[in-house]
Amino acid sequence: MKLLADVTPAAAARVFAVSNVAFLGVDIALAHMANAFAHPGEWAPIVFSALATLLLVPGALGQRGRLPASLDLVAGWGAVVVGVVGMVFHLESGFFTAQTLHNLVYSAPFVAPLSYVGLGLLILLLRSEEADKPALGPWLLLLSLGGFVGNYGLSVLDHAQNGFFQATEWIPVASAALAIGILAVTLATRDARVRLACLAIMGGQVVVGVAGFVLHVTADLNRPAASALDRFVFGAPAFAPLLFADLAALAAIGIWALRGTTERAPAPRSGPSGAVPAPTATD
Amino acid sequence: MPFRAIFIAVVIGTALVLAAFLIHQKRPAVERNQPSSTRISAVGKCAECHRRETSAIIDQFETSQHAAKGVGCLDCHNAVGGQPTMDHRGFTIARTLTAKNCAQCHATEYEQFARSRHAAPAWASVNGAQGMSAEQRAVGEKHHPGWVDRAPMAIGAMEGPAALTSGCNACHSIGKPNEDGSFGTCTNCHARHSASVALAREPTTCGQCHMGPDHSQLEIYGESKHGALFAAQRERLNMHADPKKLTTADMSVPTCATCHMSGLEGMKVTHDTTERLSYFLFAPVSEKRPGGDRGETEMKELCLKCHTRPRVDDFYAKAHDVLVATNDKVKGALDVVAALRKDGLLTPAPLDEPIELLEFDFWHYYGRTAKHGAYMGGADFVQWHGNYELLKLRVELDQAVAEARSPKREHR
Repeated sequence: MKLLADVTPAAAARVFAVSNVAFLGVDIALAHMANAFAHPGEWAPIVFSALATLLLVPGALGQRGRLPASLDLVAGWGAVVVGVVGMVFHLESGFFTAQTLHNLVYSAPFVAPLSYVGLGLLILLLRSEEADKPALGPWLLLLSLGGFVGNYGLSVLDHAQNGFFQATEWIPVASAALAIGILAVTLATRDARVRLACLAIMGGQVVVGVAGFVLHVTADLNRPAASALDRFVFGAPAFAPLLFADLAALAAIGIWALRGTTERAPAPRSGPSGAVPAPTATD
Repeated sequence: MPFRAIFIAVVIGTALVLAAFLIHQKRPAVERNQPSSTRISAVGKCAECHRRETSAIIDQFETSQHAAKGVGCLDCHNAVGGQPTMDHRGFTIARTLTAKNCAQCHATEYEQFARSRHAAPAWASVNGAQGMSAEQRAVGEKHHPGWVDRAPMAIGAMEGPAALTSGCNACHSIGKPNEDGSFGTCTNCHARHSASVALAREPTTCGQCHMGPDHSQLEIYGESKHGALFAAQRERLNMHADPKKLTTADMSVPTCATCHMSGLEGMKVTHDTTERLSYFLFAPVSEKRPGGDRGETEMKELCLKCHTRPRVDDFYAKAHDVLVATNDKVKGALDVVAALRKDGLLTPAPLDEPIELLEFDFWHYYGRTAKHGAYMGGADFVQWHGNYELLKLRVELDQAVAEARSPKREHR
């Protein structure tokens, strides 16, 4: 119990960051396998993920001092660079040759490498002066919102490749859209009820993510393929739906970090505001 | 919970879903409407890689009738009827496509093709029955008795496998027996990813094989009035017209396919290119085909779309005269050489002596050319590329025969 009492939103976010960096390497290995690693640069994110995971472990385990902080900064800036460079490589895909819907749907997903940028920013945030303040909350919500925007785009484009053959393929699109809506509203208000609703909807995202994982794996196991590995390399991306649960967890940590900054009464302002609320209180 | 928050969240979410739905509806039907999710993804996934490698096939497919009608990559590339398969980037596809893949949708067309001379006889004329299953042999012999269950062509064996593969069989594989039991591929005439009717209507498509000294149909067509009109007026023709609804307004000038295959003005479309023929013009001595009278009637019916009855009958009568005269000339030459062989002045082996090559050229080049010229309206091919060459070659042949029979040669 004491251990749990010591866990802070920042510490949870650090564990979130290191596990995501590590897992992203596995996911990208599967994705680039479909391309048979045609370009040597496709190995870069996998190698980076392995190295960055090692760099982030000391900080995630709670070690203090300049070395873990420096390692985190190296991993954080490295993730930003890998993400931006990866996006530039993906930009050379068909969509930028001819801006057609076909190319938009079937090109290499140029948004996907930005997940590294998001993780890099999270790592840098957790080493900034906001890390242990309530200001961490809105930033985490913002990063989660950015993730859901990407998730929405990938859900639309990936399932468009499938022609939305099953009606259930619209569920993640609607789910991500709802998450974007509630996260945007949560960022713009300090109402406790909105945050509660946000948590509930994030719970729904976990359900959608796990259900998607089961559906994707089931589809892969039932498709014809030369080998078991091929089922997952060329089939529905098994781990992709788990991003819903993953981002929901980040949003939940963000709301946790916002504790003590709520207002019981509705805000007196008359219109919606996109401003990130300034942290006004601590516990 | 404030209504403002609910309202904004719902508006944002709904707008995003609506946007995704509207964008999806803008996509081509071939990328959305398929019988299975695998087939949907195949169209775009295939294009994704093949636009970088063999990009032309994507452009050809996208402008084809297949794409317009929602036929996707896997519709053709899936393995049917026991075809060998291969795993390719997550898809299981047929190792080689044959006419059987096309027959999934175009069964009638394939059935007509399979009973034509483009199928088993085309292959057998070079390769004999080798490579054919008992069933394929039976199908071929049923429609073309004696033309399928035969020995391979002697010249092919003499010239060697390289010449046979890249020469003879480049054309004669149109009737190649496939392991799946079918014959040939439709792509010889329609191309692969274009799957084009217009291409099959082009004289040059038929002319890929029907050209040269042994079957000069393309050259003859070029000389004919039909060919001259086609060259002058091709822009006016609707080469893409639906074969089953073809009118003279679409094709006011005929190409090979118009006369031999088309459903012009309500006629029955056929992929049996031999259906409207009357004689075996390619044979040394031409005889009427089984059903040749019916074939002639059908062809004349086609001619009548543009020409009056007396004109058609007159044309056929004159062509028949050339055929009879050419038969006499060829038969005379064959008899002379046969007599030499009978007298033991030629070896039993085929085509190993100059006289035998003269004999072969006599019917295979010039006899055929004269007859084809007559039936296709190519006067120069009746005369200078046909009859004059026959005359010249007969002189050479007689001289060679005389030399072969001379006591001097016998003495040697």
